[in-house]
Amino acid sequence: MRRLDASVPVWGLATLTLVLLMGLPLVWLVTLSVSGEHGVSLQHYVAAVRDLPLRRALWNTLVMAFWTGVVSVAIGAPLAWLTARTDLPGRRLLRALVMASFVTPPFLGAVAWVMLAGPNAGALNKLWRAVTGADTPAVNIFTMTGLVFVVALYTFPYVYVMIGNTLELIASDVEDAAAMLGAGRFTVARTVTLPLVAPAILSGYIVSVLQALALFGSPAILALPAGFHTLTTQVWGMFHYPPRVEMAAAVAMPLLVTTALLLTLQRRLLGRRGYVAVGGKGGARRRIPLGAWRYPAVVFCLLVVASAVFLPYGILAKAAFSRAWAQPLTWDNLTLRHWTFTFFEYSATQSAIVNTLELGVLTASVGAALAALLAYIARRRAVVGHQLVGFLALSPIAIPGVVLAVALFIAYTRPPLILYGTLWILFVAYVTKEMPVGYAQSDATFRAIPAELEEAGRILGAGRLRVLGEITAPLARSGVIAAWCFIFIGVIRELSASIILFTPDTKVMSVVIFDLKEEGQFGAIAVLGLFMIAMTLVVVVAMERVFGRDFMGGRE
Amino acid sequence: MAAGIRLVGLTKRYGDVGALDALSLDVAPGELVSLLGPSGCGKTTTLRLVAGFLTPEAGEIWVGERRVSSPDAVVPPERRRMAMIFQSYALWPHLTVAQNVAYGLRFKAELSRADRARKVADMLKAVQLAGLEARYPGELSGGQQQRVAVARALVVEPEILLLDEPLSNLDANLREEMRFEIRRLHEAFGITTLYVTHDQAEAMVISDRVAVLEQGRLAQVGAPEDLFRRPQSRFVAEFIGKTNIVEATAITADTVARGAWRLRVGDKDLTPGSPVLISVRPHEIRIVAGHPGAHGDNAFAATVRRASYLGTAVDYQVTVEGVDVPLRVTAPVAPRFAAGDAVTLAVDPAACVALRR
Repeated sequence: MRRLDASVPVWGLATLTLVLLMGLPLVWLVTLSVSGEHGVSLQHYVAAVRDLPLRRALWNTLVMAFWTGVVSVAIGAPLAWLTARTDLPGRRLLRALVMASFVTPPFLGAVAWVMLAGPNAGALNKLWRAVTGADTPAVNIFTMTGLVFVVALYTFPYVYVMIGNTLELIASDVEDAAAMLGAGRFTVARTVTLPLVAPAILSGYIVSVLQALALFGSPAILALPAGFHTLTTQVWGMFHYPPRVEMAAAVAMPLLVTTALLLTLQRRLLGRRGYVAVGGKGGARRRIPLGAWRYPAVVFCLLVVASAVFLPYGILAKAAFSRAWAQPLTWDNLTLRHWTFTFFEYSATQSAIVNTLELGVLTASVGAALAALLAYIARRRAVVGHQLVGFLALSPIAIPGVVLAVALFIAYTRPPLILYGTLWILFVAYVTKEMPVGYAQSDATFRAIPAELEEAGRILGAGRLRVLGEITAPLARSGVIAAWCFIFIGVIRELSASIILFTPDTKVMSVVIFDLKEEGQFGAIAVLGLFMIAMTLVVVVAMERVFGRDFMGGRE
Repeated sequence: MAAGIRLVGLTKRYGDVGALDALSLDVAPGELVSLLGPSGCGKTTTLRLVAGFLTPEAGEIWVGERRVSSPDAVVPPERRRMAMIFQSYALWPHLTVAQNVAYGLRFKAELSRADRARKVADMLKAVQLAGLEARYPGELSGGQQQRVAVARALVVEPEILLLDEPLSNLDANLREEMRFEIRRLHEAFGITTLYVTHDQAEAMVISDRVAVLEQGRLAQVGAPEDLFRRPQSRFVAEFIGKTNIVEATAITADTVARGAWRLRVGDKDLTPGSPVLISVRPHEIRIVAGHPGAHGDNAFAATVRRASYLGTAVDYQVTVEGVDVPLRVTAPVAPRFAAGDAVTLAVDPAACVALRR
């Protein structure tokens, strides 16, 4: 018998939690999707394939995801190149604004764009009619084009970040080599730089497609009024009375499989990336002077940040403080009515804020702790099968929120654990959904802490848990706090799983915003949306404070 | 009283790769033994097995009368009363110098707070770090960090001290200085020590005995001079210093032949007719002008092929008449010979070592 030390139960418990958390819902999802009255049956799949509206929804989903990817790359790639490699004025500001679009909940952006470009009352259309005297609106957001546009506005930051990171790694000397051979500035960009970042572009495309596939809020806000469905809104519809849970499970499966396949493809791409040229320290990077191209570049950037940030937040701010958001902003039109209404009169708000904060803090605390333990276990090979820990912890990336919700609904509306109707089912959903973020952050943290620092403690007489507490934990502190913040931000904006799992007593802020949209209460949406963004900002600022004081940087 | 270490048939595999194959080695109480070998030879694995970070697949480790490792039971590192100095030093960046050094004393319940503070202060003085107590490791130079690591390991007065290439991160001058420093500390404290290195010069300077490892096996163990003068295998002969290896055939108990060349060797127990490898160090061969006759029976006519001036010596490449293998000879700068010169080589039979493998 090998001597067991006190740490073994801790590792075991964490690993078991992970297996149950990830395994239970998926097992139920598969089981229910193939269940019939008399044992195993494919009847729900057959029914799903025969269902014409479902086939249409599938087609719409594919169209939306495909074009969202295209538009995201078309916006994100040039922006990334301009900020990373050129002398574009205001690069830091641009980066900050792209990040602002990153932290904007997509459904909030969608609501804002309803106010901006709705065919009748939309602010942009009103302006258009006033200026041109035309009767017809200039743009209609309730179309597939409108949907793709709005979704891409909040998805392109993924492409931006991925390409930006790659560009940071390409040294100027590879480009100089081409320039020495006589290639012009833009020929260099086209023949050298572009091929080097091609894997990042493709990978960014796939991530955008994945985001679009999993999205619920924007299609629900923009596609449903336009009279068409996507898979996520269809699955949501199946939970209306009478619920068709088995059918939802059957529809969720292809969504799950597609996501998993795309994700595998993306991993392959990144794994095979020609890092020979890109990796390493590399030489210095020099910025390419834009010259006269500066002007169209600035206009392009302005258009993007105006669409993603200025216009939406402008209209939200206006709606939050005006009696009628569609009317001009005059003294008569100014009011704080929406604020008092939202926080004190609308019955659902206060409990939703409390629920959201409770869930946010609880999920972030438990999630960050669990993610840190799991990442530690996997890095230090503390359990048998540690290779599987990372795989399991990251697997929810492949599970769209709606699918996860269906699976959790099935798993926790029956014994042994009946959680449906309580906040706990949302808690489980959030911990599961945010696990990849927390795990990736924690893993990066522990990768930066050499095992020797722990071994040095062991050999001097400290037990495993003691070393974890006295040496590893202080060193991992800022990394774990970052994981906490990422999870918290993710939780307070979560909609696609919440919308299926909530009950009247367990509403959260995102669900209330969705309800208010159904009621047409745009002023209240604006108030609650801005409040939500403010909460996010507080966390982001706090996080920057923490990292500013980080002393790990002092080492070598 | 210091305890010795006994490794018995120690075997360790990583997956299918054998890192260590039935290694047996005794380290006497108070002795400093180096584990020397190229990367991947199993020396660090051995050290980590002794520390208790790894579990052996077979074999045992004894410290004094305690069996600390076997495939069934491994005493965890924290209960081994050992200390270790890591290649990276593994100083904790969030603790000050004093806190780093004091860490191990926390687990000695018999010490009072005042005792601990005094021990830390004394130790920091011994390694010339007094005055830097409040610094963080990130604020120290490489040499100072190294001394903090030494202090942290020695202050707990371990039974066994383990060092894993502690000098490899230092620049060349500091490294040479620290070799003597480590030897001095060893003589002052007398702790049984295992020292891992891939640098043969370092091992020679520091060790009482050196254990040369080759692909997870013990190639040879002995005092530095033994290893240098009487290597038992081609691997050891070539790994420790430069040498000439001549493939030959034994013709009597103490003479070998290659072609028409007859060479007397130090060994007296060769089997006539069997193939044998002979190692001759370049500096053991004398190079002189004139005919072989005047220089005893182990002298041969030869031709200089190349002469390279090295400052303190000249490195010659020569061929013995009628023999196809070139020999390297390291000789004083005077008398000088040039390429093409006919010379005589003379070598003491005792400097010609027959290798077992």
